[in-house]
Amino acid sequence: MTAVHAGRPPAATPTSWTARLRERLSHVVPPGQALPDRQPAYMSSWIYVFGVLTLAALVVVVASGVLLTLGGVTWWHVSSLGRFVNSLHLWSVELFFAFMVIHLWGKFWMAAWRGNRALTWMTGVVAFVGSIGTAFTGYLSQSNFASQWISTQAKDGLNSVGVGAFFNVLNPAQMLLWHVVLLPLVLGVIVVLHVVLVRRHGIVPPIDADEEEVAP
Amino acid sequence: MRPTILLADGAGRYVSSGAIQISVTNLIIIAAMVLVFVLALVLPFPGRRHHDSSGRDS
Repeated sequence: MTAVHAGRPPAATPTSWTARLRERLSHVVPPGQALPDRQPAYMSSWIYVFGVLTLAALVVVVASGVLLTLGGVTWWHVSSLGRFVNSLHLWSVELFFAFMVIHLWGKFWMAAWRGNRALTWMTGVVAFVGSIGTAFTGYLSQSNFASQWISTQAKDGLNSVGVGAFFNVLNPAQMLLWHVVLLPLVLGVIVVLHVVLVRRHGIVPPIDADEEEVAP
Repeated sequence: MRPTILLADGAGRYVSSGAIQISVTNLIIIAAMVLVFVLALVLPFPGRRHHDSSGRDS
């Protein structure tokens, strides 16, 4: 992208893919908006807190999940510390979903897709659905009777809708890898994209707010 | 160990209405989430300023 400014020659078009990518990335978020220290006045409301609460819970989920992965199955079943971290992982997930659903309710009734924010909304939708899948594989990774029961029930359900051939919920190792590697990787990328889009377009104003004061 | 100890716990308490059935625990959690949502809308935010500021840094 080149811009002609008064009194200045046009910038040279980048030829390498790295230069083009750098140029593109420099325009993803408006200057000063990557980590802003000022926000619109209408953001002073509790309903705007639940997005960052969801992110904070996700950080605890990932951190406790990493510890569980390092410790291993026996550690989280037998060791006192392992059981504590296991519980920390569970409850941070519970809070993650509670915060995310309240965040979703707030944004739905705020019609948060307004003002070119459709992609922000859709990445949130995909993150929500992806989180449900990630949590489900987490249930299957517990290595206890509950995970065995859930897997046999899920096997029938997945087969009934014709997707049972793509993954085997009766294979704990496969489900563990889905839970600790593949799905968190995908979910992480989607969440980062969601946050970048929020910073790019700004937080959505209340429906009765003046749109002009928050135009990017 | 007595065999009765190995028996599963009871199925829990449920609220039923026609085709809808939900455990009391889940119903309480959902009600609490709705309550938190409503409180987030009506409770004043600490330190809220009443004058508008720009949504963008300059």
